[in-house]
Amino acid sequence: MEYSIEVNNVSKVFSNYEALKNLDFKVATGEIFGFLGPSGAGKTTTIKMLTNQLRPTDGEALVLGRSMARNWKDDFQQRMGVLTDNSALYERLSVYENLKLYCDLYDLSYSRIEEALEMVNLEDTGKKAVGKLSKGMTQRAMLARAFLHAPELLFLDEPTSALDPTNAAHIYKSLRELNKKGTTIFLTTHNMHEAETLCDRVAFLDHGKIQLLDAPQKLRRRFADNTMTIELTTGKKITLDNVPENAKKMYAYMADEQVASVHTNEPTLGDIFVKLTGRELV
Amino acid sequence: MTLALRRMYAIFQKDMKDVSKNMYISTTALTPIILAFFYGRMDNIQLDMYYLIINFTFSIVAVFVQAAIIAEEKEKNTLRGLMLSPASAGEILIGKSLLTLAFTGITLALSIFLVGYEIPNAPVIIAALFLSGLFYTALGTLLGLVTKTVMEASVALLPVMFVFGLTPLIDAIINQYPALSFLEYMPNMQLIELAAQMEAGGGFAEAWQPLLIITAWFAAALAAAWIVYTKRMTDS
Repeated sequence: MEYSIEVNNVSKVFSNYEALKNLDFKVATGEIFGFLGPSGAGKTTTIKMLTNQLRPTDGEALVLGRSMARNWKDDFQQRMGVLTDNSALYERLSVYENLKLYCDLYDLSYSRIEEALEMVNLEDTGKKAVGKLSKGMTQRAMLARAFLHAPELLFLDEPTSALDPTNAAHIYKSLRELNKKGTTIFLTTHNMHEAETLCDRVAFLDHGKIQLLDAPQKLRRRFADNTMTIELTTGKKITLDNVPENAKKMYAYMADEQVASVHTNEPTLGDIFVKLTGRELV
Repeated sequence: MTLALRRMYAIFQKDMKDVSKNMYISTTALTPIILAFFYGRMDNIQLDMYYLIINFTFSIVAVFVQAAIIAEEKEKNTLRGLMLSPASAGEILIGKSLLTLAFTGITLALSIFLVGYEIPNAPVIIAALFLSGLFYTALGTLLGLVTKTVMEASVALLPVMFVFGLTPLIDAIINQYPALSFLEYMPNMQLIELAAQMEAGGGFAEAWQPLLIITAWFAAALAAAWIVYTKRMTDS
């Protein structure tokens, strides 16, 4: 398997605390990988290290086959897109002028601007000065900048944190389209819905350490309590263990046309995180 | 247009649009022209006075405009965006210096015209002014990189203006304290020394040494700016 990111025992120590402790994971090329954790877990530190904005204290990481320790150059940045908490646009310039600058820096045709604005649902906002945009619109304009050159590898730090559900859904759709076209996506979030909707695999990060790593569906199954809840037409809810002995009970409710709905009781990713760490994902 | 030129020109165009909408920077840069206009109406202006205005222009335009442009990029987090783009450090630093150099050249030409300075041995003096412009722009870049905000850059400009802008004052200090005579090797002092020699009818034989010293100052400021820039590419 080909990997876009390979992190081997990476640690980061700031003056008085250890932000990352022996991180060890790989992100396959073509994957959408989610890094989940509460504020202060080390998500942004990880992205900054993988994009060469921070040096690790120990360990090694390969990004697109190149070591972080090396001095990165032009064509490498061309293959990467980054949106972090310290990304910004020029406030006095319009969205279009901002994106035009980046078209020139990435050697792209200006026709990409319209495509990128469409991807973030900002088609009619190109002429507006960035400083006059709402927080959500600014976030989408920054996403447009990150999408502009359809990078091989895209790092997104909390990409939809300032967005309403409609625009977040639009961004999810665009991210999936980008991914289908070959972009590997590494995103950090504390939004469980985002992780479940988008990610092929997720890693739970807490206190600078990966606690768990797998596909969301597999994790939910692994932590499921193997019960199901039947809601009857009377409104009553019955919880049954998902075992052969309960098949007759289930059959009886169905034969009497009493079943309104049936749900297997799988935990959310948030529930799993709390179970593992004792902390909420906020 | 090659890719490097496209990138540098794009940064220049972006800065031009940005600064044209930034009244704080654009009005500050007009100060030397106003000063030159009033001094130009005086009689018997001495060489020192011409170069007071010229060095003031370098401090307030080349140093301040450049420092403010860079410091604002840092303050607003946009410099990191440029650093994370495929543009090289050289393309970014040259692109970001073009506007300041153009602005300095125009302001200097207008100030010299308004104050009525008739340049002796124009090729030598223009070469010295150009080299000085490069030095002060590199100094502005350095100042912008070591400060965090435009306000900090404005405060840091004050000692720069004192040292490089007020040449007659440095002259007086050297006269009073001969131990400080090494200050004569400062670029502003060398510029005025060169101008005095050209005024007295000197040629290239008298000019090469001051030109070399100003070039050395430019190289030192550029190297310092480069080192600080590469350090700023990563957080600590």
